[in-house]
Amino acid sequence: MSLLLFGLLIMMLLVVWYLSFTATRLDRLHHRVETSWANLDAALKTRSALALEIARSNLVDPATSMLLLAAAHVAVVAGQEERGDAEGELSELLLSLLAEEALESDDEIFNELKSARDRLRVAIALHLEAVTRTQAQRKRPLVRLFRLAGRAPLPVRYPFEDIEV
Amino acid sequence: MRVEEIDSQRRLNIGMVSPYGWDLPGGVQAHINDLALYCMAQGHQVSVLAPAVDEGSLPSWVQSVGRPIAIPYNGAVARVTFGPVANRRVRRWIQEGDFDLLHLHEPAIPSLSLLACWAAEGPMVGTFHVSAPKQKAIYAVGPILEPAIEKLHARIAVSQTARTTLTEHLDTDAVVIPNGINHQAFSEGDATDEFGRNAIGFIGRFEESRKGLSILLAACEELLKKRIDFQVVVAGPGDPTEFVEKCSDELRTRLHFLGRVSDSRKQQLLRSVAVYVAPNTGGESFGIILAEAMAAGAPVIASDLPAFVDVLDRGKAGVLYTSEEMSELAAKIEELLDDSEKRAELSLAGKSRAQIYDWSVVGESVLDIYRLITATGEKVRLGSELRFSRMRSGLGRNG
Repeated sequence: MSLLLFGLLIMMLLVVWYLSFTATRLDRLHHRVETSWANLDAALKTRSALALEIARSNLVDPATSMLLLAAAHVAVVAGQEERGDAEGELSELLLSLLAEEALESDDEIFNELKSARDRLRVAIALHLEAVTRTQAQRKRPLVRLFRLAGRAPLPVRYPFEDIEV
Repeated sequence: MRVEEIDSQRRLNIGMVSPYGWDLPGGVQAHINDLALYCMAQGHQVSVLAPAVDEGSLPSWVQSVGRPIAIPYNGAVARVTFGPVANRRVRRWIQEGDFDLLHLHEPAIPSLSLLACWAAEGPMVGTFHVSAPKQKAIYAVGPILEPAIEKLHARIAVSQTARTTLTEHLDTDAVVIPNGINHQAFSEGDATDEFGRNAIGFIGRFEESRKGLSILLAACEELLKKRIDFQVVVAGPGDPTEFVEKCSDELRTRLHFLGRVSDSRKQQLLRSVAVYVAPNTGGESFGIILAEAMAAGAPVIASDLPAFVDVLDRGKAGVLYTSEEMSELAAKIEELLDDSEKRAELSLAGKSRAQIYDWSVVGESVLDIYRLITATGEKVRLGSELRFSRMRSGLGRNG
């Protein structure tokens, strides 16, 4: 009888250990999402700032300047809801700007913009990976049943993350 | 949590972990060595943790965890270190190092890197070098590795092929950053004419059948039948007897085995050959030697393995042939030996293509990732204590 009790106790301990192990994993994943989002956010802001700077310089034609200025401004002031669309539009605009062979200026700022774009690509890749992984873990029945994720919000993906930047 | 601006001036304290013995030859160790030197040249601080056969021979920035042991793994012999002693040393290194980030190489095999990944908490990068189909059996243990692998803030794959292996078997994505080369060391320097003007080069551990030396030699026999003049230069460690015995007498006189060569000799050879041939049949995740040959200006002929196709820019910077088709290889070699204009063209294209593999480009991409994941200022620390302190402060902090 006592052997049975002992066995049960061990089982319980194992279950508790596994639950706490899983909760730690989730916590770590949420932490990763926070970090990667913070990075992505910073990379986006850097890009907007560069776009604004280009718009205010004489390096591109006035029409492009106006478009850039508007798009970058919208992206900067956008709330969480509109942010996705705004960043997406800015991406497309900058993409066409950088792709233009006729871009005569070899001003340092375009190189800066290019490296900002490269960093943004990496930041998006890292963030997406963290989000996908966290979502997958939170779908596990065990995690749902025991509410191991606590009150942490479920990370989401933004549409602009899928388009090429 | 906010990151206003990523500080590109910040000096980082970087910890790197090598799975394989530091004083044994190998591509991964060479890569870590070059990366560490690049980071230090940029003003960062680097400490490498690695197994070592002879602790006395290590540079000051490499710390040993003891001798590597040979274990059969994935169809080859891996020389790695693990066990309680290694584990203790890993933990002490992490604790005393006060690192801003850890860079773990090959964290998905049973090695020091995996130990470090289990033990540490905080900003971590993992680089995945392998991509052999054989790995399937190993990646079947994916679910066991998952809790460790998901701690990595960023994963780097050395090639598109390595990345595919990773997505398929470990269900995780990675940023592709190729291996680096020292472009200048290959492109600048003298050449040698001791092997004539029609030298065909091959560098590597030719005893491994996947390196394809027998295919190259079979193609050479065909060239001989067409009375084409050439010499074959093979550099790399191994016993050539088996190959020499199989050759015709004629080929034997044209075949030169140099054994293991120094870096500078390798660079000189690559600058001297008329064509460099990479007849590999599989198991290559990157093909650093192709990048090196291109940097040295050697026209390259390579089998159409996915990794090689990438490095040669889909055939724009070198000639591709269907893997294991020796007559096609022979025809391509003949064509190039006959056409010095085409060779000059390929040499130029290769040199410029190889620029993207120079450390100044590759190292900067890696540093960019370092800066990204360390932007929050969080430090690397040991995991377990934290785990319980976090437990006490409540599960799943609200983000």
